[in-house]
Amino acid sequence: MIPDGIEDDDKWLAEGIAAIQLQAFYLHRALDANNLREALKYSAQMLSELRTSKLSPHKYYELYMRAFDELKSLEMFFKDESRHGVSIVDLYELVQHAGNILPRLYLLCTVGSVYINSKEVPAKDVLKDLVEMCRGVQHPIRGLFLRSYLSQVSRDKLPDIGSHYEGGDDTVMDAVDFVLQNFTEMNKLWVRMEHQGPHQIKEKLEKERNELRDLVGKNLHVLSQVEGVDLEMYKDTVLPRVLEQVVDCKDDLAQYYLMECIIQVFPDDYHLQTLETLLNACPQLQPTVDTKTVLSQLMGRLSNYAASNVDVLPEFLQVEAFTKLSSAIGRVIEAQADMPIVGAITLYVSLLTFTLRVHPDRLDYVDQVLGACVKKLSGKPKLQDNRATKQVVALLSAPLEKYNDTVTALTLSNYPRVMDYLDNGTNKVMAMVIIESIMKNNSCISTADKVEVLFELIKGLIKDLDGTSVDELDKEDFEDEQNAVARLIHMLYNDDPEEMLKMICTVRKHIMSGGPRRLRFTIPPFVFSALRLVRQLQGQGGDVVGEEVPTTPKKIFQLLNQTIEALSYVPSPELALRLYLQCAEAANDSDLEPIAYEFFTQAFVLYEEEIADSKAQVTAIHLIIGTLQRMHVFGVENRDTLTHKATGYSAKLLKKPDQCRAVYACSHLFWVDDQDGIKDGERVLLCLKRALRIANAAQQMASVARGSSGPVTLFVEILNKSVQLSLHLIEVTLIRYLYFFEKGNPNIVNAAIQGLVELITNELQSDSTTPTSDPFFSSTLRYIQFQKQKGGAMGEKFASIKV
Amino acid sequence: MPSRRRTLLKVIILGDSGVGKTSLMNQYVNKKFSNQYKATIGADFLTKEVQFEDRLFTLQIWDTAGQERFQSLGVAFYRGADCCVLVYDVNSMKSFDNLNNWREEFLIQASPSDPENFPFVVIGNKIDVDGGNSRVVSEKKARAWCASKGNIPYFETSAKEGINVEEAFQCIAKNALKSGEEEEIYLPDTIDVASNSQSRSSGCEC
Repeated sequence: MIPDGIEDDDKWLAEGIAAIQLQAFYLHRALDANNLREALKYSAQMLSELRTSKLSPHKYYELYMRAFDELKSLEMFFKDESRHGVSIVDLYELVQHAGNILPRLYLLCTVGSVYINSKEVPAKDVLKDLVEMCRGVQHPIRGLFLRSYLSQVSRDKLPDIGSHYEGGDDTVMDAVDFVLQNFTEMNKLWVRMEHQGPHQIKEKLEKERNELRDLVGKNLHVLSQVEGVDLEMYKDTVLPRVLEQVVDCKDDLAQYYLMECIIQVFPDDYHLQTLETLLNACPQLQPTVDTKTVLSQLMGRLSNYAASNVDVLPEFLQVEAFTKLSSAIGRVIEAQADMPIVGAITLYVSLLTFTLRVHPDRLDYVDQVLGACVKKLSGKPKLQDNRATKQVVALLSAPLEKYNDTVTALTLSNYPRVMDYLDNGTNKVMAMVIIESIMKNNSCISTADKVEVLFELIKGLIKDLDGTSVDELDKEDFEDEQNAVARLIHMLYNDDPEEMLKMICTVRKHIMSGGPRRLRFTIPPFVFSALRLVRQLQGQGGDVVGEEVPTTPKKIFQLLNQTIEALSYVPSPELALRLYLQCAEAANDSDLEPIAYEFFTQAFVLYEEEIADSKAQVTAIHLIIGTLQRMHVFGVENRDTLTHKATGYSAKLLKKPDQCRAVYACSHLFWVDDQDGIKDGERVLLCLKRALRIANAAQQMASVARGSSGPVTLFVEILNKSVQLSLHLIEVTLIRYLYFFEKGNPNIVNAAIQGLVELITNELQSDSTTPTSDPFFSSTLRYIQFQKQKGGAMGEKFASIKV
Repeated sequence: MPSRRRTLLKVIILGDSGVGKTSLMNQYVNKKFSNQYKATIGADFLTKEVQFEDRLFTLQIWDTAGQERFQSLGVAFYRGADCCVLVYDVNSMKSFDNLNNWREEFLIQASPSDPENFPFVVIGNKIDVDGGNSRVVSEKKARAWCASKGNIPYFETSAKEGINVEEAFQCIAKNALKSGEEEEIYLPDTIDVASNSQSRSSGCEC
């Protein structure tokens, strides 16, 4: 009969407990009176309450515990013959008169434990008798609890080694036999539940069975605690017999649970030494058994065991644990054709974790696991299942974490093949994990082959993969990714120029396929990486003659020129211009005039054709002037052409102040303060005069505008500002005059300086809007004073300037 | 009707998986130790006779599964406990942090009559590991927790070396004995001396 609901369950339990309490009351009265007959009667009546079929296992367990506690007093009473005057042998017969079988067997077990305690008969005989007699109860729940009682009361009476009950005819084998037999019977009872009752309550039965499982599993715990079950006995008797029962019962719930128990209750070294037996059982389990979790748990335990103590590692080698596990996994995956892909990959992750812990030196094993994974994935579309993807990421991350040296992962031939099965998004995530790992470990990638493999691995970041639409990309994520690639490029290095050049060419090949959005991130680090090589060659005294292609700066510059050109089409002309100038400077340092000239030409072309924004022009022109000023490789002709161009651009800037600044900056192109530097005083002066003219023009324009403007204050303020600005331009130009004057430019005469000083002083005094104390001009004057007072040649030079 | 003289003391050992509950029990009862980890399934007890104040008691020591998956039937065996031993591993912070959960869970499930004064004993086990170098829970910290929970007696043991195990269990026995948990005194509503109370069972005849 099945109770209708929880409430009924509670009601039945309460009634059962009340009845047990009542009978226990009489039982204790009988015990206090040392009345054996009454004690037996009331205990049997109490135990009759356990005959109920109305309770769920949980509730039944509560009821059982009540009876169990009472039986403890009865056992103590039985033990003390003086209280009841009946020998234990007779008592063993006497209790068998109880009317119902369930109370009878509980009483028999209770007396039986006392019987063993008395040592009047060999323990094994009593145990054998009890375990056989219990067959009389075939109702699963009642039978399981009865046998669990038998197991508990006999727990400390097993004739295992060192116990009181060992010796004579009793051996540890008897103890093992007893427990195994009880286990087998209990498992049968448990499995039989599955086939009872109508189909509708299957779910409920399943739940109840699950609750009961520990009663069965506990036998395995007892076995593991039996003293004297050494490896040999475990291998020859215990494990084969347990597994036989597990396989033969053909019940998936029992099989899964019992495999889990075996793995958890027996020690690691036993598992290692019986690995083959244990693994051979796996393919024999029902197809519905979650074998992968079983195997994962086993590998997890063994991995922890290996990690806990290095001394045990030889054991793993000796039993060829990897080979056995690997082939077992293969067999299980093969046997369970409909195992979801995530299941198979989870298994490979466990195996890989095991391998990395136990055989960190065996990269071939790692590759083998990845290879098996590829085999499983092959012929299938890219992974869609989120959980499977996660497992693949775990699989690929494990070697990176283990080796602290990403280069190791690059040697695994199956690594990229596994990555290919990831969807584009996850592929990129994985690529980022790889780059981060390289950064974290500061791993240097030092051969072209490795660069090739690496860029193949991270290709998701390097170029658009099929099916990724640009709109899907998050701008911030994209920039993070590309910056990561940029950082990575700096990690590629080899001392050997020839190899380094090969690496650079490989990088170039990959990044050039990245499309416009990526180039502006990837080309700059590439350029600097190549320029580093150029500098290295310079340090080694120029060209290095290699076997096939000589590695020359020329060749590298050629490569750079083509690369940067791509950037100008992106379009990122400003960035390209900067890079051209960097290259020009490097070519200058390598004494390669034509190449430096070519880079400048490219920069100028970009300036003329692509850079239209006036602010960008200002920035660009100053970069050009700065770089050009540092060039010493040019002969007169080339130099003239370039400086002429630069000066021309300067004078054509849109805003007067910008023009002025650029033009006076150009003055430095004609006066390089090196020993061999150009010193063309005349052209310096021309530049400065021109700058002054522009400043004056600006000043006049501002004044005119101010004079004509009405009372609009805002406008006046703007104009005042521009007047001040143009005056400031003159002040700054004065600084240039002073500079060249000091450097001994014969064309800069003190009269010109004197004139400027006076001009500025007058302006400051006449213009009411300008603060009379101009700090900039004041410090210039202080500087002139200082030079005058210095004495010596410099003092003389400045003597005639009056301030 | 007076309460009977107590001769059986029930002790429950709780704590995370792998802290050494089974080892402590085995060391105390059988003087044996094994380094191998073997999970416990369900609840299992061993008994030991102890002498206390000239009286003999049976200590019923319940070892429990630390792994929840091996506790499928619930904890009905908590009922009637006289003392609860909370075990943690001094080398594992997590096992110490979980003591509170174990204690609360026990008080809820066992529902002793006087939870405030129910006797607990805390054991920090595995003090032998790595010469104490891998220890992460300090004695001070553990004692502070014990003090905050109503001055729970505290012991540091090594089940492996047998250090302090005997002392801890003596304290456990003493506290179990002093525990206020009296056996329920049951009085039936009516006592029918002639009654042959018939079975109410509606199950089959087995």
